[in-house]
Amino acid sequence: MAEQGLEGSQPVDLKKHPSGIVPTLQNIVSTVNLDCKLDLKAIALQARNAEYNPKRFAAVIMRIREPKTTALIFASGKMVCTGAKSEQQSKLAARKYARIIQKLGFPAQFKDFKIQNIVGSCDVKFPIRLEGLAYSHGAFSSYEPELFPGLIYRMKQPKIVLLIFVSGKIVLTGAKVRGETYEAFENIYPVLTEFRKNQQ
Amino acid sequence: MATFELYRRSTIGMCLTETLDEMVQNGTLSPELAIQVLVQFDKSMTEALETQVKSKVSIKGHLHTYRFCDNVWTFILQDAVFKNEDSSENVGRVKIVACDSKLLTQ
Repeated sequence: MAEQGLEGSQPVDLKKHPSGIVPTLQNIVSTVNLDCKLDLKAIALQARNAEYNPKRFAAVIMRIREPKTTALIFASGKMVCTGAKSEQQSKLAARKYARIIQKLGFPAQFKDFKIQNIVGSCDVKFPIRLEGLAYSHGAFSSYEPELFPGLIYRMKQPKIVLLIFVSGKIVLTGAKVRGETYEAFENIYPVLTEFRKNQQ
Repeated sequence: MATFELYRRSTIGMCLTETLDEMVQNGTLSPELAIQVLVQFDKSMTEALETQVKSKVSIKGHLHTYRFCDNVWTFILQDAVFKNEDSSENVGRVKIVACDSKLLTQ
């Protein structure tokens, strides 16, 4: 949170972000192993802000307000934490969920915490000719406007998927560390400027 | 038809239960009959709410806690406003327990 707050006021490090644009992290997905079997019904009955509908999904869905996140808690003791805006917030949230489980009387540990996915987004603030981009980067691009209005760009190095929209809005997903998100954006930025759409 | 026992905790349900308890203790009513009356109460409440009550109430407030377990939703609202056609009332804290009546017919 703090880092994002600073973006506006602090100058962008142009060595790290030559484009002058820093993608904003929108969602972090992490996993952790609490390393004990859990009684999901007991958790759903005792914890606040929990949903458990085993007919639909075999996990307790729990939410906390700070950091604003959602956790999927499985009977095996594995947990998925989604919705955090930074790696640290995701870890903090996962720790809070683990603490809630502990307080309900389970011997929960905090093993193998791992960031599984980072989603970032940004706006290059100019329109983009998606057909041209798709044509010249055919090996990486999939653009089917009848199916989805954005161009899906599967970058190989780093291995990141980008959704590129005519409006100049970009979504980057698939990163395990934020550096990959930044690197992917810096790789694509010159391509985007090349396919900038001239305003009528 | 199966029914929820949810309405037994309402004011009218509590009064009925108390009265039945008293009658059972006096010996004016058999416990079996008292149970039967309560089951009929469950049915009648469900039916009455379905067929006789036309008014609608909207409840709006800050969601403090929610839970969904065993097909029952529980909500605790803070600073809720209950509104119907001609009046509105503020409630500091309210607990809503909701069951899905469709589950009874399945």
